[in-house]
Amino acid sequence: MQYEIETGGRTRQVTVTRAGDGFTVSVDGRSVQVNAARIDAYTLSLLIDVGATPAPSVGGGPAVGGIQGSHEVTIAPDPVTRQLTVRVGTTPMTVGLNGRRRWGRKEEGGHAASGPQRVVAPMPGKIVRVLVKPGDPVRARQGLVVIEAMKMENELRAARDGTVTEVQAREAMSVDAGTVLVVIA
Amino acid sequence: MSFVSSVVESSPLKKILIANRGEIAVRIARACREMDLSPIAVYSECDRAALHVRFADEAYPIGPSAPRESYLRIDRLIDAAKQAGADAVHPGYGFLAENEDFAAAARDAGLTFIGPTPEAIALMGSKTAARVAAKRAGVPVVPGTEDPLSAEVTDVEIARIADTIGYPLLVKAVAGGGGKGMRTVRDPAELASAVRAARSEAGAAFGDAAVYLERQLTRPRHIEVQLLGDQHGTVLPFVERECSIQRRHQKVVEETPSLAVSPALRVEMTAAAAAVARAVGYTNAGTIEFLLDEDGRFYFLEMNTRLQVEHPITEMVSGVDLVRWQIRIARGERLDLSPERLLTPAGHAIECRIYAEDPDNSFLPSPGRILHLRAPAGPGIRDDSGATAGLDVPIFYDPMISKLIAWAEDRPLALARMRRALGEYIVAGIKTTVPFFTWLFAQPEFVESRFHTTYLDEVLTAREGRPFVEPRPEEEAIATIAAAIQAALSPAAVASASNGAANADAPPGRWKARARTEGLC
Repeated sequence: MQYEIETGGRTRQVTVTRAGDGFTVSVDGRSVQVNAARIDAYTLSLLIDVGATPAPSVGGGPAVGGIQGSHEVTIAPDPVTRQLTVRVGTTPMTVGLNGRRRWGRKEEGGHAASGPQRVVAPMPGKIVRVLVKPGDPVRARQGLVVIEAMKMENELRAARDGTVTEVQAREAMSVDAGTVLVVIA
Repeated sequence: MSFVSSVVESSPLKKILIANRGEIAVRIARACREMDLSPIAVYSECDRAALHVRFADEAYPIGPSAPRESYLRIDRLIDAAKQAGADAVHPGYGFLAENEDFAAAARDAGLTFIGPTPEAIALMGSKTAARVAAKRAGVPVVPGTEDPLSAEVTDVEIARIADTIGYPLLVKAVAGGGGKGMRTVRDPAELASAVRAARSEAGAAFGDAAVYLERQLTRPRHIEVQLLGDQHGTVLPFVERECSIQRRHQKVVEETPSLAVSPALRVEMTAAAAAVARAVGYTNAGTIEFLLDEDGRFYFLEMNTRLQVEHPITEMVSGVDLVRWQIRIARGERLDLSPERLLTPAGHAIECRIYAEDPDNSFLPSPGRILHLRAPAGPGIRDDSGATAGLDVPIFYDPMISKLIAWAEDRPLALARMRRALGEYIVAGIKTTVPFFTWLFAQPEFVESRFHTTYLDEVLTAREGRPFVEPRPEEEAIATIAAAIQAALSPAAVASASNGAANADAPPGRWKARARTEGLC
C-alpha cells in the first residue's frame, strides 16, 4: 500500500507492507518496524522499532529518528477542514492523505497561504455583526465577522493582509459550520 | 452532630430534582447516590442522551434545546419536580442558580431549595446592594458607584461619575456574573461605547441592562473564600482559592491555597468573608470574591450565592464534600465541622476547565461529536465530567466538558500530577483546550505563581495566535506512520476525511479493494 501523506507542510511518500504480525512502514525510503494494535475505531497503539532490528534504509532517504517506542495515536476526521486530525499523545496535527490536504496547520480553517482567503464559520451559530464590506482593505488579525455560539460572541479574523472581495454574512443570519462568510483577495 | 438531633431537626428528603445539565448535574447525582437519595434529571431536546440523564433514577423532558425554552423555564422545572414527587431542588451553578424567583417558586411549591433563601440571593445578586452590605460589615470594597446606573442615566452623567472614580475602570452589569456584561475602559473616549456594549450584553444575558462602574486595580489577584452557613447561625469559611488565571474575565485555572496569601492574611480574609455572610444571614454554600492588590490589601468584589464551578479544589484540600453539606444544611442539620481544620489546607489542589474550544484558533468553540474519550485517572486525579464518547457537545450551552483536578501534598507535586494527567487526556472528534493547559503549566510565571487577573490576556495577546503545541518532527513522523497504517487497516475510517476535498483519483472504495488484495484488512 502506498500513500502520499502531508503534515506540517511536508509531503512524504509512505509504503505499508505486512511483516510478520506487524508492518514495515517506509517513510521517504527509510523503514521502521511497527507493531500496531487497534484499540477502537479511532485509536491505535504503535510499537515502533521495539525489539526488532531496524530495517535497512532503502535509497538513502532521510532518517526517521527519535520515534522508537510506544505511542498512542488517535485518528479522527475533522468535520470543518475535512482532513484527519491525528493526535500523538495529546499533540494534535492535521494530516492529509494522498495529496488531499490543502492547507497548512497554521492557516487551518480555510485560509490558504496564497490565493483568496475564504473565511468560513468554524461552527454552527448566528452572525451578530459584520465588520467589513466589499472593497475594504484588511490587515492580518483584523476582525471580520462576529458569530455567536455556545453563549459567547466570537470574532473571526483575517489570516493575513488583503482586500475584501465578497461578504456573504448578514447580521442575524444562522449559519452551519463550513459556510463561507467573507472572501479576501 | 448527634444522630438524635439529626432526626429531630431534619425534614426527610428522598428525591432531589437536579435543575441543571452537564458535569454539575452528574456531580450532584453522585452526591445523591452516596446519601441514598434519588437523583431526578431534566433534559432539553439535545440532551436526551447526556450523562446526567443516564445517571438519574428518572428524567423529564423540559423543552427545546435553547436554554430560555428549557433549563431557564421555572414553570417546567417545578412541574417536573411535582411530576416526579421530588421534595427538593438543587440548582447547580449557572442557569437559575442565582435566580431568586426560582428559589421562591420552589419554596411556594413546597420544595426544599438547596441553596440560600430567595431574599439572600436577591440581596447579594445585586452587585451594588452587595457592596453596601460588605461596607456595613466593615469590609473594604473596590472604589466605584454606589447606585446602579439604569438605562435612563445619560452618557454625560456617566462620564462625570467616571471622572470621580478614575481610569482605568470597569463597566459591570449589576446583575452580572461570568464575565458577561463587563468592559474595561482605559480612556474616557471609550466610555460611552463600553457602557452601550455592556448594557446590551447584560440585557441579553440577565434581562437587566443596569450597569455600575468600578475602578480597575493594577495587577490584582482574584482570591475568593468558600463558605458554608447552616440554618442555626453558624457560618464557616474555608481556605482561600486563587482564581487569577482568567481569559476574558472567565476563570480557566483555580488553585488552593494561594501562594500570595500568608497565614496571617488568610485569617483576615476568611474572617472578613464570614462577616459579610453573617451580616446578611447567609445560609448554604456561597463564595465571597476579593481582589488582592500588590500591597496585600484586599477588597470585596462580589458574592456568588451558589456552588462554584471550582468547588472541587476546596473539597480536595479540606476533605469536605460541599454538595453533601449543601443537602444536609438544606434539611436543617447543623454544621459541626472544626473551623480550625477548614482553615488548614491539607496539601494543594489545582483545577483546569477543559473546554470544547480550539485554542489555536482564537479559542473558538468546537462543538460536535466526541468520537473517543479517555479521561485521566490515578493518584490525586479527579475528573468531573459530563462528556462521554458518542455524545455531541451541543452549541446551545457553555462549552465546558470537564474539570480536571489534581491534588498532591504540595504545589510542585500537584503540578506534576496535573501535567501527567493532561498527557493522559485524549478527546477525539472535537478540539479541546488540553494543549493550551499543557503550554500554560510550563510557563515560568505560572510555575512561580507570578500572575494576576490580566496576566493571561496579556500573554495571549503577545503570542498573536501562535500554536500552543508545535508538533516536533518526530511527532509528525509518527502521525504520518499512524495515518498510513490506519488507512491500510481501516480505509472506511479515513474515507470521509479523504473524500471531503474534490478529488476522485483514488476513491476510498479502491483503497479498500487494494487493501483486500494485499491482505491488509
